[in-house]
Amino acid sequence: MSAARTLSMRDALYEAPGPRTRRRVRIGTAVSAVVVLLAIAAVVRQFWVTGQLAPRYWSLFLQWTTWRFLGQGLLGTVAVALTAGAIALVLGLVLMLGRTSGVRPLAALCRVVTDFFRGVPSLLLIYFFFFVPAQLGLKLPSFWMLTLPVALAASGVLAEVFRAGVNAVPRGQVEAALSIGLSRGKTMRKIVLPQAVRYVIPSLIAQLVVVVKDTTVAYVVSYPDLMQNARVLITSYDALVSLYLVIAVIYILINYAINKASVAVANRTGVKIVR
Amino acid sequence: MSQEQAAEKNVPVIELRHVDKHYGDLHVLRDVSLSVARGEVVVIIGPSGSGKSTLCRTINRLETIDSGEILIEGEPLPQEGRELARMRSELGMVFQQFNLFAHMSILDNVTLGPREVLGQPKEEAEKYALELLARVGVAEQAHKVPAQLSGGQQQRAAIARSLAMRPKAMLFDEPTSALDPEMINEVLDVMVELVRGGMTMIVVTHEMGFARRVADRVVFMADGQIVEEGAPDDFFDHPRSQRARDFLDSIKGH
Repeated sequence: MSAARTLSMRDALYEAPGPRTRRRVRIGTAVSAVVVLLAIAAVVRQFWVTGQLAPRYWSLFLQWTTWRFLGQGLLGTVAVALTAGAIALVLGLVLMLGRTSGVRPLAALCRVVTDFFRGVPSLLLIYFFFFVPAQLGLKLPSFWMLTLPVALAASGVLAEVFRAGVNAVPRGQVEAALSIGLSRGKTMRKIVLPQAVRYVIPSLIAQLVVVVKDTTVAYVVSYPDLMQNARVLITSYDALVSLYLVIAVIYILINYAINKASVAVANRTGVKIVR
Repeated sequence: MSQEQAAEKNVPVIELRHVDKHYGDLHVLRDVSLSVARGEVVVIIGPSGSGKSTLCRTINRLETIDSGEILIEGEPLPQEGRELARMRSELGMVFQQFNLFAHMSILDNVTLGPREVLGQPKEEAEKYALELLARVGVAEQAHKVPAQLSGGQQQRAAIARSLAMRPKAMLFDEPTSALDPEMINEVLDVMVELVRGGMTMIVVTHEMGFARRVADRVVFMADGQIVEEGAPDDFFDHPRSQRARDFLDSIKGH
């Protein structure tokens, strides 16, 4: 693209450093590297002193059954996160469309619903789905007792994310669409939403990561996700620190993968918007 | 009323009767009446803030009016819904900021209206679109996105997008005001071609040379009012009002 040279965020936000700044950056880098290394050394030493590095805490990871059990948990986490994410995307979109529809009662309703789900902690929603349907004699599987509240909590945020995206689409785009005779609905579908979604892809990714992290309270409803299965292993092997360390790494890898995948998807959706 | 009947009866394509509009306390349009006949080219000039852009935008209801009447081929401009969308599809609009759809190729920009509004099949819409893009000189850019084009190319593509709807009149809202100087003429040339083709046009512009060359009538606005109007040579050489004389003095070249 010749017309639009893309600037990296750093170039756009900061001026290029001069010689003195560069020297300071080098010193700062060296100092912080030393500090990080010291911190790691201190942690390892503390583990050593308290016996956390003893083979009995780590030997379980040499067993196939441990990984199979964690793998099953991982599948559970992925199933909940993907389902909740999909529901939240659709519901968030619907809430946003309702709120911006211009039909007063509908807009007000969608606004209240959005703010409610956005404001209430997801754990509280999970408790709600755990207790209330049961009170009404409704037997929800634990999968849905976890997935629905996580999805609802995310939908409130996604509705606002979508709305921010829609508001970021320049007014002129809408005027041009209306002026060639497109209806309001088609203007939204063909012109506004495709651009809005491209604007908010980074926020959508961030929210999917939040969804994954929200699923870790699965123990409340005894759903076998990664965290819940790890807790089972912790009690049976009495290996708390080592297991938490390992699943922390797994969660980080999942979220890293989500980031990579989303960037790939974003690049594949075709033209990037450059102004 | 069909087009032929309208033409026979000599009904103006666009007519404004006693149009008034306020933005809060600001009276942006004061009792504006204007009538544009078929094939006529009306150029609206005036200082910034005079209401000329607003006037242009009221004609396809991108701006609402407080009172008065706007008639398109003798029929009142619909207020909403499908009728309004249909009326808009019959009036081409060209914006100062081009407003090409940023996420679509130039070709898709031009075919969107014909396909979605007129229901044309893809092949037919693309054939005509490429013809129009060639006519405005950006056929090689058909598969690029707007950001890859220069301002002048974008504006010419935007004109092609309007033409693809086969409009009965075109509205130009300062079409060259956002362009670098060297690109102004390429856009004006396209507009001159349209004039030659007999298009009914309302053009809000600061290009006095263009106004003098192609306008059938120049309308001078100030403070939301039409202060005077007339044939371009009369207006530019012998402005009757003090406001118009001051305005023309202020923009005289260096």
